Amino acid sequence: MHIPDGFLPPSIYLAGYSLTGVTTWYCLRQIRRAAIPPEQEIPKASLLTAAFFVSSAIYLPIPPTSIHFVMNGLMGILLGYYSFLAILIGLFFQAIMFGHGGMTSLGLNAVIMGFPALIAYYLFGLNFLPLKLRSFLVGALALALSAAIFTVVMISFIPADIDADVERKAILFSLVGYGIQSIIEGIFTMIIVSFLSKVKPGILTDKHETNS
Amino acid sequence: MKQIKWLSPLLYLGILTQSGEALAHGAHITYQEATGIQIIATYDQGDPMNNAQVVIYAPDDPTTPWLRGETDSQGNFSFVPDVNQPGNWDVQVRQAGHGAMISIPIGAASSNPETEIITVTTPESDYTFRQKILMSVSAVWGFVGTALFFSRQPTKKS
Repeated sequence: MHIPDGFLPPSIYLAGYSLTGVTTWYCLRQIRRAAIPPEQEIPKASLLTAAFFVSSAIYLPIPPTSIHFVMNGLMGILLGYYSFLAILIGLFFQAIMFGHGGMTSLGLNAVIMGFPALIAYYLFGLNFLPLKLRSFLVGALALALSAAIFTVVMISFIPADIDADVERKAILFSLVGYGIQSIIEGIFTMIIVSFLSKVKPGILTDKHETNS
Repeated sequence: MKQIKWLSPLLYLGILTQSGEALAHGAHITYQEATGIQIIATYDQGDPMNNAQVVIYAPDDPTTPWLRGETDSQGNFSFVPDVNQPGNWDVQVRQAGHGAMISIPIGAASSNPETEIITVTTPESDYTFRQKILMSVSAVWGFVGTALFFSRQPTKKS
């Protein structure tokens, strides 16, 4: 789901950086205003950044290509406003070390994976369903949203140099894989959240009122 | 005289075989040895990018495609660049929004007639598995170290 360099017009990459810049500023502002001091939250955010960074190296062979875990829903639930920053840093390291995504596309990739994490944080805090079902839905929805943004961006800006029909069909076909990935990530989020609610409920209640 | 009549077709045949060209229906097949580029497009985990779209841009006009094509079931694609256009030839391999773009430097008159094999991986990386593990471990240690730094107990000043 990482967009590489050179695939989209420069204006789109610039728009991605603009959105990421504004969101980063907003998240830092919210963190500064939060009751919990950043020194207490950074260790958790740092460890989850490590998990996010490594997740791109774990592949699941689901046609037409293979997928790797994103876990942005779980990041949003556990980190709140830190999740966007953690994803941005994780993406930066993925790009410079392994070429997953590129440096010009970093802002756009942060939007694709970071925005759904923030939405997941808000949705999880609404307490609309029992904990397990809610964590599954939020985890699955975050990945599905990322896939949706990725698909819309890539289909909207197919260059004239390639066969647009073939590319459009390939992108839409890959949605099947992302659908399966959403379910897997939803289940994984549910397992982690329900485990943490039992062994360390504070990690969830720091940010949300749990309703298990 | 009769003997000459019989010999004439043989003479023609001899001339034809010496010329080295097939005259049937006026078809000509000539070939020239040139340096070709073979692209092997794979995903990062090693799976071939089968039936991916390939667009090649010549150095003279990097905005208009010089050649378009598709990789085979093994992710292979071959082409012979125009040696009259030395410089960086950009090759983009793309499938479902994933892919990579690389620049292949082509010299003016290459003396190497063998096909050069260039592997295009997506994302583009030439690291071995061990290197990737080492890089991952070092990066993870950086994150863990950050976590440990911020979770340390405050020390009392003596």
